[in-house]
Amino acid sequence: MSKIIASAAIRGAHKIFSRAETLLKETVKKNGESREVKFPGTAYYLPVVYALTGKKVERLCDMYEPLNQAKSLLPKIPSENLWLPYLGDALDAGIATLIAEEIIEALKFVNGNEPINGIWLGPTTDAVLREQGIKLVDGRMPGFAACVGAPKTKEEAVKLTRDLQERNILVFMSSHTNGVSMAEQLAEEGIEMNWDTFLVPYGKDTSATVHALGFAVRAAMTFGGITPNGLKEAREILLYNKNRVHAFVLALGEVDDEKYATAAGAINFGFPVIADTDIPQILPTGICTYEHVVSNIPYNEMPSKAIEVRGLKIKITKIPIPVRCGPAFEGERVRKENLAVEFGGKYTTSFEYLISKGLDEVEDGKIEVVGPEIDDVEEKARLPLAIIIEIAGRKMQKDFESILERHIHTFLSQAMGVMHLGQRDINWIRIGKEAKNAGLKFKHLGILLRAKLLSEFPAIVDKVQVTLYTNEEDVKRLYPAAKSAYEERDKRMGELTDESVDTFYSCQLCQSYAPNHVCVITPERLGLCGAYNWIDGKAAYEISPHGANQPIKKGECLDSVKGKWKGVNDFVYERSNNTLPSFSAYSMMEDPMTSCGCFECIAGVLPGTKGIMIVDREYQEMTPSGMTFFNLAEFVGGGQQTPGFIGIGILYIVSKKFISADGGLKRVVWMTKNIKERLKDKLAERAKEIGEEDLLDKIADESVTTELEPLIEFLNNVNHPALKMEELF
Amino acid sequence: MEIEIPIKKWSGKIRAVTIGTEKNGITIGGEDTLPFHHFEGSIPNKPIIAFEVQDIYPSDWLDVVKEPYGEYLKNPIEWAKAAVVKYNADMVCLNLLSTHPDRENRSADEAAELVKNIISEIDVPLIIKGPGSSEKQNQVLNKCGEAGAGKRCIIASAVEDNYKTITAACQAYGHIVVAETPIDVNLAKQLNILISDMNFPPGRIIIDPLTGGLGYGLEYTYSVMERIRLQALGGDAMLQMPFICFVGQEVWRVKEVKVDESVEPLWGDMKKRGICWEAATAITLLLSGADILVMRHPEAINIVRKSVGRLMEK
Repeated sequence: MSKIIASAAIRGAHKIFSRAETLLKETVKKNGESREVKFPGTAYYLPVVYALTGKKVERLCDMYEPLNQAKSLLPKIPSENLWLPYLGDALDAGIATLIAEEIIEALKFVNGNEPINGIWLGPTTDAVLREQGIKLVDGRMPGFAACVGAPKTKEEAVKLTRDLQERNILVFMSSHTNGVSMAEQLAEEGIEMNWDTFLVPYGKDTSATVHALGFAVRAAMTFGGITPNGLKEAREILLYNKNRVHAFVLALGEVDDEKYATAAGAINFGFPVIADTDIPQILPTGICTYEHVVSNIPYNEMPSKAIEVRGLKIKITKIPIPVRCGPAFEGERVRKENLAVEFGGKYTTSFEYLISKGLDEVEDGKIEVVGPEIDDVEEKARLPLAIIIEIAGRKMQKDFESILERHIHTFLSQAMGVMHLGQRDINWIRIGKEAKNAGLKFKHLGILLRAKLLSEFPAIVDKVQVTLYTNEEDVKRLYPAAKSAYEERDKRMGELTDESVDTFYSCQLCQSYAPNHVCVITPERLGLCGAYNWIDGKAAYEISPHGANQPIKKGECLDSVKGKWKGVNDFVYERSNNTLPSFSAYSMMEDPMTSCGCFECIAGVLPGTKGIMIVDREYQEMTPSGMTFFNLAEFVGGGQQTPGFIGIGILYIVSKKFISADGGLKRVVWMTKNIKERLKDKLAERAKEIGEEDLLDKIADESVTTELEPLIEFLNNVNHPALKMEELF
Repeated sequence: MEIEIPIKKWSGKIRAVTIGTEKNGITIGGEDTLPFHHFEGSIPNKPIIAFEVQDIYPSDWLDVVKEPYGEYLKNPIEWAKAAVVKYNADMVCLNLLSTHPDRENRSADEAAELVKNIISEIDVPLIIKGPGSSEKQNQVLNKCGEAGAGKRCIIASAVEDNYKTITAACQAYGHIVVAETPIDVNLAKQLNILISDMNFPPGRIIIDPLTGGLGYGLEYTYSVMERIRLQALGGDAMLQMPFICFVGQEVWRVKEVKVDESVEPLWGDMKKRGICWEAATAITLLLSGADILVMRHPEAINIVRKSVGRLMEK
């Protein structure tokens, strides 16, 4: 911690402490030490003192003990030539400060200089706390800002207040800068301040800042169910605040020693300080989740900086676009007769590209249209389009780009009168006349995308900036970068192997009807329903850590050929309710993966051929096994291991790990035309890789036969490679 | 020949939850074996039946169910009192249906006022059931939670979308929360984890697995409850909560109960049929582990009470 800050905080703590000590002495002299003392409307005594020390202050004499504790926490003021780290000392000084400040504030009630006075509201009552606190807990209110001091001008104070209100952030105000307080500035501008407007002036003294922390500790006591009793509980209360109460301090104007001391107190709660002046910064993570002190921030950037530094999540309740929006409009088509404007399809260059960037590189909420807007073009115009979405998030990963990008389709389709098809550089977007008449602009597409990304993926997305280019020149200029990113992503997916990662992901979405089934998703074996690959699993786990997709540490490798790991076995055993002790990823003959019932295809052995057949869900006719897809599904599904039969996602067939322990793709002697058609190019490529270029022609389908005897004859005729392999069982 | 009954020793135990105040508190749960397996473990508390009372005249109820309550139905406080005094209800479930935006859209404050009055008039523990519609559900249960502060009521329900608000209210006002998920073990567990993650004591959560009436997916609920219990007794702490099942509202709306004998003579006496339907649904849920049943018809409740009595005999 910066020496300057630490020294100032410790000096300030000493000052505040001795003021409290003197004040208490005088008050006792006047009123006697058994005089009652309390804040109005609370059952938590002096809340901060109670939370931090466990002491219940009801009379003046009850103040001695906490004050003594504060004294014992006060570090010596560091000398000029001492260069030790001061973090611990400054934090202790901060706690001492808060105890002393709350005592000062409480004594005001005894001494007749009521803190509830004029615009000043004084300490919060429990009733208000419960009502407002629930909003804080459930996220309707993303957090609170304790504004200490005052901005330079009234206009700036108003602007800052509006920016915070707009984001539903509760604003506490206390202290002053050179005699001017922010609350007075707002009052002069005629702004209404009370709990309903989310603007709460606590008091003009710096010590009144403690009421903001009194609010915070009671949130932990009320909603966290923590009862103070001493150090252990005090720690729990501070941690509760760090993890759940998303508050921060805005230091406005010059920061004096007492403000430093109070700020040090707030840092104990994990509440960082954002300052407009050029005070020293404390950037490394430690007590706070991210940075501790960030300085020299202009007023207009303060709210967004605070959101970033404290990790606030803003809930968007209503998306400000002029058309309705919801899943009901997803499948809606915009017909030619009804067309206002369209992008892409086969007519113009159009693409959508989502890219992750650093937190400093993305300006959240910036939506821009470069090129003509909807009103600048004639009806039924065909325009080029580049949708560039820049995302930043503390937990955002490069791998999640493609997952988020895939959602553009759903998000845009949900707007009434907007049709979106395809993805990447083969998208096709149409906007209907009604939507245009309702006032829909291109810009609204950006607003919609931002709102959706933030609200659907709050765990990984913190900032979104969208630019829509609608002029030929820019679209052409930007396209190569997007194209190479698509290629890069595909390449990365291709390079991702089971060996290159140490964690797989489970999927237990289907356990409600297949109680013992666990899907194990590896980079080279996607979920059997075909809907979840490894990266999806990884992202789903980030988004919902208690959800159906959990990480599985591979652990020790027990059999690299069959694909058995200790960690995976343990996981599957536990999650299958202790029914499946062993699991192999690459074999359908020994401890194969179970199936729920959602498999895209079923692979099964064909006795007498040394090979297997694969049938897809669409195919309802007979197969050479003597059973239809649905007969097979009966005994493959339901979460049981049926050696010789597995349910799979169609793309697994072209994976290098496709039943690799049993001989791989060369074992396939029969598969439906549908599968052949869907995997055509990929199958050809794989066949070439394994040195069986003409394999596809040697695999029979329903047009050749659906019976076993003729199949064996066919295999002999084409000299299928499986014939030369070992028996499967 | 001696037959030795195999005894399974479970490592887990269902949490005991006390509803109500020191004076009128009722404890449910606490068992360390499957339902009514007295030979295997201990079942310290019997399942409880709560009478459903609506905050508005139940014009959509069948005459068969309305008849036993008569005039009382016109005033929810009288209705609740009748349930307690006339029919010895152990618990009352106040269904705040009229606050639903598609119904009378009564305000949260009105609902809170009613909760206050009912609490002062009856001396059995209370279940407070919101209208279900999400935004209104939050407002209503919040205000009603405040009105019943300290009475340790059951608040129904928290779902995935609103659990933070409802849990915060239950935490602030000292109530028990119902965690409702759609017939799924893992979703039930996930919601319990999410609620506990808010520092809410797991010992104040009750699971609503959602159920249909007999013939309408009851068997699905049955096996999901069975599985939750097996996993809980097997040691899964995040599933060791008691169950609540809202039986009456499901049963009394199915076709087999609503159609009278003039239309379907073979189905027999409509009154008897409805009562049996409700009792059969309730008893089935008892056998799969229900700890609280919310029911409507006093005669059906009587039948189930008798069954509980016999099932609790060791």
